[in-house]
Amino acid sequence: MVIYLRWIVALALVYLALTSNLEPSNIVVGLLLAGGVVALIRPPRRPTQPRRPLRSVVASARYVLTLGYDMVVSGVQVARIVLSPSLPIRPGIVAIPAETNTDLGIALSAHAVSLTPGELVVEIDDDHMMYTHCLDATHAETYIKDAHDLRIELLNEIFP
Amino acid sequence: MEDIRALVAILAIMVGTFFSLAGVLGMVRLPDVYSRLHATGKVGIYGAVLLLVAAAVWTPLGWGRALLLMALLMVTGPVSAHVISSAAYRIGLPMKNAIRDDLAAAQSQADDN
Repeated sequence: MVIYLRWIVALALVYLALTSNLEPSNIVVGLLLAGGVVALIRPPRRPTQPRRPLRSVVASARYVLTLGYDMVVSGVQVARIVLSPSLPIRPGIVAIPAETNTDLGIALSAHAVSLTPGELVVEIDDDHMMYTHCLDATHAETYIKDAHDLRIELLNEIFP
Repeated sequence: MEDIRALVAILAIMVGTFFSLAGVLGMVRLPDVYSRLHATGKVGIYGAVLLLVAAAVWTPLGWGRALLLMALLMVTGPVSAHVISSAAYRIGLPMKNAIRDDLAAAQSQADDN
């Protein structure tokens, strides 16, 4: 029941953000709509509960900030490659271990790798190896490893 | 206050348009589907996010809606880029000027076993 309430509140917040109208009647409409959606879909119970809520919130914030910074760097880097006359790319597909075991962890780290400079996950195999297309594949492994380690550390704190 | 808002909106529009342009240019200049996805999938999102910032500051769109749209763009953008590249690899589209391909090596190794 508590889990369903959490989903209802989250969905109602999305509805309020979309309508950007905080009148009491609108809040009631949002809660009713969210309740209807949850009753129809029956979202699955979350597999793991964070043991230390505060630390996992801090880690989530750091994770989102890291992602935002990576996106900015990624945009500038790709724009520079595209705009330079000689088009300096050395493309290739590099294998990187995902280093997490849960499905959610693998999905999140593949998402993060795809957001970071010049990398795009093409395929993930059964051994949790992410085959990543890089615009510059010469030093990709060491370069990706550093950024990847930080994110894995944060992800492990969010989902212990 | 009004001046600052106008300045932020103008800056965001200019930078966002620049990145959208860079994305289109990358689509034209880069050699194959995988590298083109870098330009369209990520730089394009970057441009759209900055235009959303400008819209939130200067039009009655509101920050709630703008932030939600940004989050959705950032979550779905890499996913669609990954799905397109994965599909391209599965139907065997070649990479141009590739210097290495670990996935092909892994697949031929799996075929041998």
